[in-house]
Amino acid sequence: MLLKNAPVLFNEQVAANLYHVGFECPDIARRVQPGQFLMIRVAREFDPLLRRPFAVHRLESACIEILYRVVGRGTSILAGLTPGDSINILGPLGRGFRLPSGGGPILLVAGGIGIAPLPFLAEILLAAGNTGPHYLLFGAGKAEELVCVDHLEDLGFVTTVVTEDGSSGEKGLVTDHLERWLDGQQQLPVLIYSCGPYAMQRKVAHCALRFGIPCQLSMEALMACGVGACLGCSLRCKPPASETEPYYANVCQHGPVFTAEEIIWEQC
Amino acid sequence: MNRQGLAVQLGPLQLKNPVMVASGTFGYGQEYVDMVRPDLLGALVVKGISLEPRPGNPPPRIWETYGGMLNAIGLQNVGARVFVEEKLPWLKTFAVPVIVNIFGNTLEEYRSLAAMLDGCPGIAALEINISCPNVKAGGMVFGTDPHMVSQVVAMVRSATALPIITKLTPNVTDITVTARAAEQAGSDALSLINTISGMAVNVETRRPRLANVVGGLSGPAIKPIALRLVWQVVQAVSIPVIGLGGISSTEDALEFLIAGARAIQVGTANFVNPRITLEIIEGLQTYLQRHGFSHINEVIGSLQLSESSTD
Repeated sequence: MLLKNAPVLFNEQVAANLYHVGFECPDIARRVQPGQFLMIRVAREFDPLLRRPFAVHRLESACIEILYRVVGRGTSILAGLTPGDSINILGPLGRGFRLPSGGGPILLVAGGIGIAPLPFLAEILLAAGNTGPHYLLFGAGKAEELVCVDHLEDLGFVTTVVTEDGSSGEKGLVTDHLERWLDGQQQLPVLIYSCGPYAMQRKVAHCALRFGIPCQLSMEALMACGVGACLGCSLRCKPPASETEPYYANVCQHGPVFTAEEIIWEQC
Repeated sequence: MNRQGLAVQLGPLQLKNPVMVASGTFGYGQEYVDMVRPDLLGALVVKGISLEPRPGNPPPRIWETYGGMLNAIGLQNVGARVFVEEKLPWLKTFAVPVIVNIFGNTLEEYRSLAAMLDGCPGIAALEINISCPNVKAGGMVFGTDPHMVSQVVAMVRSATALPIITKLTPNVTDITVTARAAEQAGSDALSLINTISGMAVNVETRRPRLANVVGGLSGPAIKPIALRLVWQVVQAVSIPVIGLGGISSTEDALEFLIAGARAIQVGTANFVNPRITLEIIEGLQTYLQRHGFSHINEVIGSLQLSESSTD
């Protein structure tokens, strides 16, 4: 875990309220794994007070890239930064995605801004020699929110898109499509990686469990510290093998990536 | 970072500097070890410990407010046995006074916990938590009733030879009453304030932001209130007072020390800047030099009230 000031290299709007920022931070770039996150302080003073967690979107040598949606004051300030401005970063943090031990089809499922950590994962999967085939199911509200699709297709991912308004691909929710997609596959994926809103993740997890496919999900939570000190980002999880009682895991420390089996979805 | 002139005496406790981390904001020390070597701190107050492990409250547990944060963690902790067997041995490897914040549902639980920790090498003092607003039994219920404050402190006093610090709640009409009750029952020092009860509502869903509905407010927003309460308590008791509540900079720390706190604890600011305690220690040293003081004791309680000293 490092605490660094990093200069912003670019900060571009890629959709109505989606931005793509890159900043130079070689020390953190050398250490970060797919699925890990950073706690970014956007203000020098105390408004907003707390750092904001962001998954690493891509890595380009010493440049760390983040894809983010403007949802409040913190992300609004972030969107206003220009090249040369500096941000303060704590990271890399958390337990990221684990890579599959063998070969076989891999499926990525993304909902909206949940696409953010998947390009980094996709690139590492390929760099690790995973031959796939590789698939992406990507659901968003409307066509313009379907960012990064070209990049993942260029990497060899066979992509299916779903939009809630029907402006691109099939109309509906990505989770509606997932079950039909799995039913239609001759060879099921050996692993599903998923990131998106909580309700989507719950359905993806249930679907993966029903088909018997291992599934890793990157979970989102409100966080204060990002390191397991404040215990604010709790997620109800099943007891580990040696215990009997369910417990509250820290999304920042025990996650943000969890397996479908770990989480007690009904009680969350 | 061996700083000159920063050592303070806190009743029976000797600290190399007056900067501590507040319970619940620094885990058990391991969480921030990449950022802060524990032995650079004046003391490390660990996450509140109960006799048995506690799962804590359901999420959502935190919500950011203007200049502050609300939390309703609910004293989630590993329990005393796991703390002693798995956390304390690591903490003992650092030359830092470890202060264990203790919490019970009943008087008897406070007694048992104090007695159990009394025999554990590596613990410098106990901080009695009678002020958590986020639990149904015990917690603030003990801290708002002066009679109960006396009973809890006396019970812990009878069970341990360790120095005891009583952490007071601000959620009372007159904090000097509970402060005096703790002093008279045998507390060696006081720490204040714990969080102030608060709440927040999502107006779109018309639901509370916290699953527990109410939580404890901390952060810069509460600092003026904490400072006023520390000032009042310093006038009311003879035992040392540790000030906390929104301290986020050297200047904040100095305000509390000048108002009479013998040491300070940094809480929520650790989340914002994990190295803030080290920056404050450095900043206090610089302040002494800049003002020609040779020791922090010349600063503690030096509030100037005469007209000629106002700026």
